[in-house]
Amino acid sequence: MSNKTKNEPVIAYSELAIRNNLSIVEYCRTSLAAVSGCTAGVLGLTGSYGAIFFILAVTSFWLMLLCKAGVDSWKKFFISRKSLLLNGLFGHFFTYILCWTFIYGMVHVY
Amino acid sequence: MTADLIVDPQIRFWVFLPIVIITFLVGILRHYVSMLLSSQKKVEVQQLADSQLILRARALRENCGYIPKNSFLIRRQAFNKEDGYLMQKRPPVTQNMMTDPSMMTDMLKGNLTNVLPMIIIGGWINWMFSGFITTKVPFPLTLRFKSMLQRGIELSHLDASWVSSASWYFLNVFGLRSIYTLVLGENNAADQSRQMQEQMQMTGAASVMPADPKVPFKAEWEGLEIVEHQWKLADIEKEMLQE
Repeated sequence: MSNKTKNEPVIAYSELAIRNNLSIVEYCRTSLAAVSGCTAGVLGLTGSYGAIFFILAVTSFWLMLLCKAGVDSWKKFFISRKSLLLNGLFGHFFTYILCWTFIYGMVHVY
Repeated sequence: MTADLIVDPQIRFWVFLPIVIITFLVGILRHYVSMLLSSQKKVEVQQLADSQLILRARALRENCGYIPKNSFLIRRQAFNKEDGYLMQKRPPVTQNMMTDPSMMTDMLKGNLTNVLPMIIIGGWINWMFSGFITTKVPFPLTLRFKSMLQRGIELSHLDASWVSSASWYFLNVFGLRSIYTLVLGENNAADQSRQMQEQMQMTGAASVMPADPKVPFKAEWEGLEIVEHQWKLADIEKEMLQE
Protein backbone atom coordinates (compact mmCIF):
# COMPACT_ATOMS: atom_id res chain seq x y z
CA MET A 1 0.00 0.00 0.00
CA SER A 2 2.81 2.36 0.82
CA ASN A 3 4.29 1.73 -2.59
CA LYS A 4 1.08 2.66 -4.26
CA THR A 5 0.74 5.94 -2.49
CA LYS A 6 4.34 6.82 -3.04
CA ASN A 7 3.96 6.93 -6.81
CA GLU A 8 0.91 9.17 -6.78
CA PRO A 9 1.44 12.86 -6.27
CA VAL A 10 0.39 13.74 -2.76
CA ILE A 11 -2.10 16.56 -2.41
CA ALA A 12 -1.96 18.39 0.87
CA TYR A 13 -5.24 19.71 2.18
CA SER A 14 -5.79 22.23 4.88
CA GLU A 15 -8.23 20.58 7.25
CA LEU A 16 -9.74 23.84 8.43
CA ALA A 17 -10.28 25.26 4.96
CA ILE A 18 -11.86 22.06 3.72
CA ARG A 19 -14.24 22.02 6.65
CA ASN A 20 -15.12 25.65 6.04
CA ASN A 21 -15.84 24.92 2.39
CA LEU A 22 -18.05 22.00 3.29
CA SER A 23 -20.06 23.97 5.80
CA ILE A 24 -20.64 26.74 3.26
CA VAL A 25 -21.80 24.18 0.73
CA GLU A 26 -24.06 22.74 3.41
CA TYR A 27 -25.72 26.12 3.89
CA CYS A 28 -26.19 26.47 0.16
CA ARG A 29 -27.73 23.04 -0.09
CA THR A 30 -30.15 23.67 2.75
CA SER A 31 -31.26 26.88 1.09
CA LEU A 32 -31.54 25.04 -2.18
CA ALA A 33 -33.73 22.37 -0.58
CA ALA A 34 -36.01 24.99 0.95
CA VAL A 35 -36.27 27.11 -2.17
CA SER A 36 -36.79 24.18 -4.51
CA GLY A 37 -39.41 22.81 -2.12
CA CYS A 38 -41.28 26.11 -2.29
CA THR A 39 -40.99 26.12 -6.07
CA ALA A 40 -42.37 22.62 -6.30
CA GLY A 41 -45.22 23.63 -4.03
CA VAL A 42 -46.10 26.69 -6.08
CA LEU A 43 -45.95 24.70 -9.29
CA GLY A 44 -48.26 22.16 -7.73
CA LEU A 45 -46.14 19.13 -8.49
CA THR A 46 -47.49 15.91 -7.06
CA GLY A 47 -46.20 12.43 -6.54
CA SER A 48 -43.08 11.35 -8.33
CA TYR A 49 -42.82 14.63 -10.24
CA GLY A 50 -41.81 16.26 -7.00
CA ALA A 51 -39.10 13.70 -6.35
CA ILE A 52 -37.81 14.08 -9.88
CA PHE A 53 -37.78 17.84 -9.44
CA PHE A 54 -35.72 17.45 -6.26
CA ILE A 55 -33.19 15.20 -7.96
CA LEU A 56 -33.01 17.64 -10.84
CA ALA A 57 -32.45 20.58 -8.51
CA VAL A 58 -29.75 18.84 -6.49
CA THR A 59 -27.92 17.62 -9.55
CA SER A 60 -28.04 20.98 -11.27
CA PHE A 61 -26.78 22.65 -8.10
CA TRP A 62 -23.94 20.15 -7.99
CA LEU A 63 -23.03 20.89 -11.59
CA MET A 64 -23.17 24.62 -10.98
CA LEU A 65 -20.95 24.22 -7.97
CA LEU A 66 -18.42 22.28 -9.97
CA CYS A 67 -18.52 24.92 -12.68
CA LYS A 68 -17.96 27.62 -10.08
CA ALA A 69 -15.07 25.76 -8.52
CA GLY A 70 -13.69 25.10 -11.97
CA VAL A 71 -14.07 21.91 -13.92
CA ASP A 72 -10.40 21.09 -13.51
CA SER A 73 -9.58 22.86 -10.29
CA TRP A 74 -12.36 21.58 -8.02
CA LYS A 75 -9.82 19.27 -6.47
CA LYS A 76 -8.26 22.32 -4.85
CA PHE A 77 -11.38 22.99 -2.81
CA PHE A 78 -13.02 19.64 -2.16
CA ILE A 79 -11.66 16.20 -1.53
CA SER A 80 -14.39 14.19 -3.16
CA ARG A 81 -16.83 15.13 -5.88
CA LYS A 82 -19.23 12.36 -5.03
CA SER A 83 -19.63 13.22 -1.37
CA LEU A 84 -20.43 16.76 -2.46
CA LEU A 85 -23.48 15.38 -4.21
CA LEU A 86 -24.54 12.72 -1.74
CA ASN A 87 -23.72 14.03 1.74
CA GLY A 88 -26.79 14.53 3.88
CA LEU A 89 -29.16 13.98 1.00
CA PHE A 90 -31.87 12.55 3.23
CA GLY A 91 -31.89 15.51 5.58
CA HIS A 92 -32.22 17.85 2.64
CA PHE A 93 -34.95 15.75 1.19
CA PHE A 94 -36.85 16.10 4.44
CA THR A 95 -36.50 19.87 4.33
CA TYR A 96 -37.64 19.77 0.73
CA ILE A 97 -40.71 17.71 1.60
CA LEU A 98 -41.64 20.06 4.42
CA CYS A 99 -41.44 23.18 2.24
CA TRP A 100 -43.16 21.40 -0.59
CA THR A 101 -46.03 20.26 1.62
CA PHE A 102 -46.31 23.66 3.24
CA ILE A 103 -46.51 25.71 0.06
CA TYR A 104 -48.60 23.12 -1.73
CA GLY A 105 -51.04 23.23 1.18
CA MET A 106 -51.11 27.00 1.12
CA VAL A 107 -51.68 27.29 -2.60
CA HIS A 108 -53.46 24.24 -3.91
CA VAL A 109 -55.39 22.41 -1.21
CA TYR A 110 -57.91 25.00 -0.13
CA MET B 1 -56.29 20.11 -8.32
CA THR B 2 -59.01 17.56 -8.04
CA ALA B 3 -59.70 17.60 -4.37
CA ASP B 4 -62.04 14.95 -3.08
CA LEU B 5 -62.50 17.00 0.02
CA ILE B 6 -63.13 20.69 0.29
CA VAL B 7 -61.44 22.35 3.21
CA ASP B 8 -62.53 25.67 4.61
CA PRO B 9 -60.01 28.36 3.55
CA GLN B 10 -60.29 29.86 7.04
CA ILE B 11 -58.36 26.86 8.32
CA ARG B 12 -55.41 27.94 6.25
CA PHE B 13 -55.04 31.27 8.01
CA TRP B 14 -56.16 30.29 11.49
CA VAL B 15 -54.70 26.80 11.90
CA PHE B 16 -52.25 25.83 9.21
CA LEU B 17 -50.12 28.98 9.11
CA PRO B 18 -50.13 29.68 12.87
CA ILE B 19 -48.75 26.24 13.63
CA VAL B 20 -45.77 26.80 11.37
CA ILE B 21 -45.12 30.25 12.77
CA ILE B 22 -45.51 29.14 16.39
CA THR B 23 -43.17 26.19 15.98
CA PHE B 24 -40.57 28.33 14.28
CA LEU B 25 -40.70 31.17 16.76
CA VAL B 26 -40.65 28.83 19.74
CA GLY B 27 -37.46 27.32 18.36
CA ILE B 28 -35.87 30.75 18.05
CA LEU B 29 -37.02 31.68 21.54
CA ARG B 30 -35.61 28.46 22.92
CA HIS B 31 -32.26 29.25 21.37
CA TYR B 32 -32.03 32.63 23.05
CA VAL B 33 -33.38 31.46 26.40
CA SER B 34 -30.86 28.66 26.60
CA MET B 35 -28.15 31.16 25.68
CA LEU B 36 -29.36 33.30 28.53
CA LEU B 37 -29.40 30.44 31.01
CA SER B 38 -26.25 28.68 29.99
CA SER B 39 -23.44 28.90 32.47
CA GLN B 40 -19.78 28.72 31.85
CA LYS B 41 -18.56 25.31 32.84
CA LYS B 42 -15.74 25.31 35.34
CA VAL B 43 -12.87 23.21 34.11
CA GLU B 44 -9.98 22.02 36.16
CA VAL B 45 -6.61 23.17 34.91
CA GLN B 46 -5.34 19.62 34.96
CA GLN B 47 -8.21 18.37 32.82
CA LEU B 48 -7.76 21.13 30.29
CA ALA B 49 -4.05 20.42 30.08
CA ASP B 50 -4.76 16.75 29.50
CA SER B 51 -7.22 17.36 26.71
CA GLN B 52 -4.87 19.82 25.04
CA LEU B 53 -2.14 17.24 25.32
CA ILE B 54 -4.26 14.73 23.49
CA LEU B 55 -5.05 17.28 20.81
CA ARG B 56 -1.35 17.93 20.33
CA ALA B 57 -0.60 14.25 20.03
CA ARG B 58 -3.37 13.88 17.49
CA ALA B 59 -2.12 16.83 15.46
CA LEU B 60 1.30 15.24 15.37
CA ARG B 61 -0.12 11.91 14.31
CA GLU B 62 -2.24 13.34 11.51
CA ASN B 63 0.25 15.80 10.09
CA CYS B 64 3.47 13.91 10.56
CA GLY B 65 4.06 13.87 6.82
CA TYR B 66 4.82 17.57 6.75
CA ILE B 67 7.79 17.54 9.08
CA PRO B 68 11.08 15.78 8.48
CA LYS B 69 11.46 12.31 9.84
CA ASN B 70 13.98 13.40 12.41
CA SER B 71 11.67 16.03 13.87
CA PHE B 72 8.83 13.58 13.94
CA LEU B 73 10.86 11.04 15.83
CA ILE B 74 11.97 13.64 18.37
CA ARG B 75 8.38 14.70 18.98
CA ARG B 76 7.14 11.17 19.21
CA GLN B 77 9.85 10.40 21.66
CA ALA B 78 8.74 13.30 23.82
CA PHE B 79 5.25 11.86 23.92
CA ASN B 80 5.91 8.18 24.14
CA LYS B 81 9.11 7.59 26.04
CA GLU B 82 9.13 5.97 29.44
CA ASP B 83 8.28 9.16 31.34
CA GLY B 84 6.95 11.08 28.33
CA TYR B 85 3.81 13.18 28.24
CA LEU B 86 1.50 10.32 27.42
CA MET B 87 2.87 8.04 30.09
CA GLN B 88 2.15 10.36 32.98
CA LYS B 89 0.23 8.93 35.86
CA ARG B 90 -2.92 10.62 36.95
CA PRO B 91 -4.78 10.01 40.18
CA PRO B 92 -8.08 8.36 39.34
CA VAL B 93 -10.89 10.86 39.43
CA THR B 94 -14.15 9.59 40.76
CA GLN B 95 -16.65 12.36 40.61
CA ASN B 96 -20.16 11.67 41.54
CA MET B 97 -22.31 13.89 39.41
CA MET B 98 -25.29 13.70 41.69
CA THR B 99 -23.38 15.29 44.53
CA ASP B 100 -22.04 18.03 42.30
CA PRO B 101 -24.49 20.90 42.63
CA SER B 102 -23.47 22.68 39.44
CA MET B 103 -24.24 19.54 37.46
CA MET B 104 -27.67 19.41 39.00
CA THR B 105 -28.49 22.99 38.09
CA ASP B 106 -27.30 22.34 34.56
CA MET B 107 -29.66 19.41 34.27
CA LEU B 108 -32.47 21.48 35.67
CA LYS B 109 -31.83 24.22 33.16
CA GLY B 110 -31.77 21.65 30.40
CA ASN B 111 -35.14 20.40 31.51
CA LEU B 112 -36.43 23.91 31.78
CA THR B 113 -35.55 24.80 28.21
CA ASN B 114 -36.32 21.49 26.58
CA VAL B 115 -38.92 19.37 28.22
CA LEU B 116 -41.15 22.05 29.64
CA PRO B 117 -41.80 23.98 26.40
CA MET B 118 -42.22 20.69 24.59
CA ILE B 119 -44.98 19.65 26.95
CA ILE B 120 -46.60 23.05 27.21
CA ILE B 121 -46.54 24.04 23.55
CA GLY B 122 -47.36 20.55 22.36
CA GLY B 123 -50.26 20.28 24.76
CA TRP B 124 -51.47 23.75 23.93
CA ILE B 125 -51.40 23.08 20.20
CA ASN B 126 -53.19 19.81 20.71
CA TRP B 127 -55.85 21.54 22.73
CA MET B 128 -56.18 24.69 20.67
CA PHE B 129 -56.08 23.22 17.20
CA SER B 130 -57.46 19.78 17.83
CA GLY B 131 -59.32 17.90 15.19
CA PHE B 132 -58.58 19.97 12.11
CA ILE B 133 -57.57 18.56 8.80
CA THR B 134 -54.89 21.00 7.82
CA THR B 135 -53.27 19.93 4.62
CA LYS B 136 -52.64 17.24 2.11
CA VAL B 137 -49.22 15.95 1.28
CA PRO B 138 -48.63 16.18 -2.45
CA PHE B 139 -47.65 12.55 -2.81
CA PRO B 140 -49.53 9.32 -2.28
CA LEU B 141 -48.89 7.41 0.90
CA THR B 142 -49.78 3.96 2.06
CA LEU B 143 -52.20 3.22 4.87
CA ARG B 144 -49.38 2.72 7.30
CA PHE B 145 -48.76 6.43 7.50
CA LYS B 146 -52.35 7.05 8.55
CA SER B 147 -51.66 6.73 12.25
CA MET B 148 -48.61 8.94 11.91
CA LEU B 149 -50.16 11.71 9.88
CA GLN B 150 -53.71 11.70 11.16
CA ARG B 151 -53.28 11.83 14.87
CA GLY B 152 -56.39 13.24 16.45
CA ILE B 153 -58.86 12.34 13.73
CA GLU B 154 -59.93 8.74 13.56
CA LEU B 155 -61.66 8.49 10.21
CA SER B 156 -61.13 5.16 8.58
CA HIS B 157 -62.19 6.23 5.10
CA LEU B 158 -60.04 9.31 4.85
CA ASP B 159 -57.23 9.13 2.34
CA ALA B 160 -53.84 8.65 3.97
CA SER B 161 -52.33 11.75 2.47
CA TRP B 162 -54.41 14.17 4.53
CA VAL B 163 -52.59 15.58 7.55
CA SER B 164 -54.17 16.50 10.84
CA SER B 165 -53.16 19.54 12.86
CA ALA B 166 -51.35 17.68 15.64
CA SER B 167 -49.32 15.71 13.14
CA TRP B 168 -48.55 18.85 11.19
CA TYR B 169 -47.09 20.28 14.37
CA PHE B 170 -44.83 17.28 14.86
CA LEU B 171 -43.75 17.35 11.24
CA ASN B 172 -42.72 20.93 11.78
CA VAL B 173 -40.86 20.19 14.98
CA PHE B 174 -38.70 17.65 13.25
CA GLY B 175 -38.52 19.26 9.86
CA LEU B 176 -37.46 22.77 10.79
CA ARG B 177 -34.08 21.58 12.01
CA SER B 178 -32.12 22.57 8.95
CA ILE B 179 -33.97 25.86 8.69
CA TYR B 180 -32.77 26.70 12.19
CA THR B 181 -29.24 25.91 11.11
CA LEU B 182 -29.73 28.36 8.29
CA VAL B 183 -31.14 31.09 10.50
CA LEU B 184 -29.18 30.70 13.71
CA GLY B 185 -25.95 29.12 12.54
CA GLU B 186 -24.41 25.83 13.55
CA ASN B 187 -24.76 24.40 17.03
CA ASN B 188 -27.90 26.28 17.87
CA ALA B 189 -30.09 25.28 20.76
CA ALA B 190 -33.35 25.57 18.89
CA ASP B 191 -33.49 22.04 17.68
CA GLN B 192 -35.69 19.96 19.87
CA SER B 193 -34.90 16.52 18.59
CA ARG B 194 -31.18 16.94 18.88
CA GLN B 195 -31.59 18.26 22.40
CA MET B 196 -33.61 15.23 23.30
CA GLN B 197 -30.83 12.97 22.13
CA GLU B 198 -28.42 14.91 24.27
CA GLN B 199 -30.74 14.51 27.18
CA MET B 200 -30.53 10.77 26.72
CA GLN B 201 -26.79 10.89 26.78
CA MET B 202 -26.70 13.07 29.85
CA THR B 203 -26.14 9.97 31.95
CA GLY B 204 -22.60 9.85 30.68
CA ALA B 205 -22.16 13.53 31.41
CA ALA B 206 -19.01 15.61 31.61
CA SER B 207 -18.30 14.54 28.06
CA VAL B 208 -15.97 17.50 27.67
CA MET B 209 -13.25 15.42 29.18
CA PRO B 210 -13.61 11.86 30.35
CA ALA B 211 -12.97 11.54 34.04
CA ASP B 212 -10.10 9.17 33.63
CA PRO B 213 -7.46 10.43 31.17
CA LYS B 214 -5.62 7.15 31.25
CA VAL B 215 -7.76 5.55 28.54
CA PRO B 216 -7.42 8.25 25.85
CA PHE B 217 -3.76 8.59 26.75
CA LYS B 218 -3.28 4.93 26.09
CA ALA B 219 -5.16 5.08 22.79
CA GLU B 220 -3.17 8.08 21.63
CA TRP B 221 0.04 6.40 22.68
CA GLU B 222 -0.79 3.38 20.60
CA GLY B 223 -1.75 5.53 17.63
CA LEU B 224 1.56 7.33 17.76
CA GLU B 225 3.46 4.07 18.02
CA ILE B 226 1.73 2.61 15.00
CA VAL B 227 1.86 5.61 12.70
CA GLU B 228 4.35 5.34 9.89
CA HIS B 229 6.23 8.43 8.90
CA GLN B 230 5.86 9.29 5.26
CA TRP B 231 7.53 12.39 3.95
CA LYS B 232 4.93 14.19 1.86
CA LEU B 233 6.94 17.14 0.69
CA ALA B 234 9.58 15.33 -1.33
CA ASP B 235 8.92 17.26 -4.53
CA ILE B 236 8.10 20.54 -2.89
CA GLU B 237 10.95 22.52 -4.43
CA LYS B 238 10.07 21.41 -7.91
CA GLU B 239 6.39 22.12 -7.42
CA MET B 240 6.91 25.55 -5.98
CA LEU B 241 9.28 26.53 -8.77
CA GLN B 242 6.81 25.35 -11.38
CA GLU B 243 4.14 27.57 -10.02
